[in-house]
Amino acid sequence: MISFLFFLSSGMFLGWSLGANDGANIFGTAVGTKMIRFKTAAIIASFFIVLGAVLAGAGAAETLNELGDINALAGAFMAELAAALTIYFMVRARILTSTSQAIVGAIIGWNIYSSKPTDLSLVSKIAATWIICPVLSGIFAVVIYYLIKSLLKVSRISLLKQDACTRVGLILAGAFGAYALGANNMANVMGVFVGSNMLHALPLPYGLSLSPTQVLFLLGGIAVAVGIFTYSRKTMDTVGRNIMQMSPMAALIVVIAQSLVLFLFASPNLHNFLVLHNLPTIPLVPVSSSQAVIGAVMAIGLIKGGAGINWHLIAKILVGWVITPILSALICYISLFVLANVFTLQVYY
Amino acid sequence: MFKIRISLFPKTKSLENKIDDFHDRVLDSAILFRKAIKVFLSNDGREEYRSVNKQIKKIERSADDLRREIENQLYAQNLLPNLQADVLELIESLDKINNRINDVVYKFYIEQPEIPEEMHRMIEILCKQVAECCESMGIASRGFFKDLSIVRDYIHKVYLMENESDLTCNKIKKAIFAADMELARKIQLDLLITEIAEIADIAEDCADKLLIFTIKRDI
Repeated sequence: MISFLFFLSSGMFLGWSLGANDGANIFGTAVGTKMIRFKTAAIIASFFIVLGAVLAGAGAAETLNELGDINALAGAFMAELAAALTIYFMVRARILTSTSQAIVGAIIGWNIYSSKPTDLSLVSKIAATWIICPVLSGIFAVVIYYLIKSLLKVSRISLLKQDACTRVGLILAGAFGAYALGANNMANVMGVFVGSNMLHALPLPYGLSLSPTQVLFLLGGIAVAVGIFTYSRKTMDTVGRNIMQMSPMAALIVVIAQSLVLFLFASPNLHNFLVLHNLPTIPLVPVSSSQAVIGAVMAIGLIKGGAGINWHLIAKILVGWVITPILSALICYISLFVLANVFTLQVYY
Repeated sequence: MFKIRISLFPKTKSLENKIDDFHDRVLDSAILFRKAIKVFLSNDGREEYRSVNKQIKKIERSADDLRREIENQLYAQNLLPNLQADVLELIESLDKINNRINDVVYKFYIEQPEIPEEMHRMIEILCKQVAECCESMGIASRGFFKDLSIVRDYIHKVYLMENESDLTCNKIKKAIFAADMELARKIQLDLLITEIAEIADIAEDCADKLLIFTIKRDI
């Protein structure tokens, strides 16, 4: 068990960085524009991220396990570490990156090392979501923008009441966004440990209990919460300042669009509903909340005359899409080799 | 029967009322300004002029108090965090209109200028234009808080009336310096007319600011 917890540390670290960075995507503009206090934002985000991870985190994790079921603990540890290192290098190189892309690359690296087959159709399905995610977020942002605009025109709500409604909206959308982030991105943090999970089920009062996977996700959720409380304040302030020209109402639109996208790619219930009605399904895949935010912000910029379009940023995202998974797979492959041959650890069965 | 009324916006309601009251003061001040000069020109209403002057002074003081309360409440309750500075600037600019109206009316009371009969009509027209300019500014500003769709129309009216008041002002000045009276009297009247026209200029500056704030208020 001690070794399990040690190997889990790479996942906990990734969870912490997720809280520090992605927490800012949800409440950054609200805190930066002083609409919500940091403490309130941190408490709401932490609670709902843990809730989303425990209740609905399994869907996206299952897809990652379909891609590569990492069955050895040391292998899972290395995959997570490879993803974390890739993110570190990409951030240092100032190239926009996503945890989801890094973890998918790392899993493929493990597949190659352990000579396990990689389902290419699943890889292309996942890669397609990276493009769909910001595009869909942008489409949602445009629809919500026009809906709110016409609603404001019809209701003729006063400035102060609009301010109060925006505040409530930011809290509700933030809570929903945190839930969706927990449900969608927990696969990145703890997904690779599902196959080698050594935790036991946790009994709860009133005859309820958490399955071993849910306990694993609970730990991941706590790591994310710690990330939010300890390090996201700076990021929230930066996000708030960077998007300061956006009004709180625009910030609300961005948060709703981003949350909807994360939710769509994480909800098993919606997936089952679409299957049941023979409708095209949305793959349950962890997607990048940062790219969803960028998609929404750019869409609003576009409908306001194109001033918000930063082509340099788009180029950076495209570069990240290609480099991140390749680099992560490479780091994972080399590290697994070192782990297996130098430290004589079993990295796959 | 018990009636339970729960306000969804208790903080905003009180501030909204104060902002509304403040705008009422701007409109009252503009209407009374027109009345004051009319009374002054009628020559037989010295007591009435004194009373209108007092009324304007009272309005100006109460607007000052409201402005301070609005500023405090905005900051203390952190309302409109992204528009706080704009709202304060707008309220302060509107307050300057009230202050200037009060100054001009008091100046007429102190200086008691002798205005030739033939200029009365033109001065009344100027005061009407200035008052309408201020009223339109007050309504436009109220629209910024309550109904954004009316702001542009009233701002347009502010610009129009300011332009008209400038033309009337120039006409009066020409008439003053063409008239047969002492130079000191001419200069005194010229200064008073300039000060009346400046009230419309203040309203115009206020409208310029409001136009930018309105664009910023859009989603």
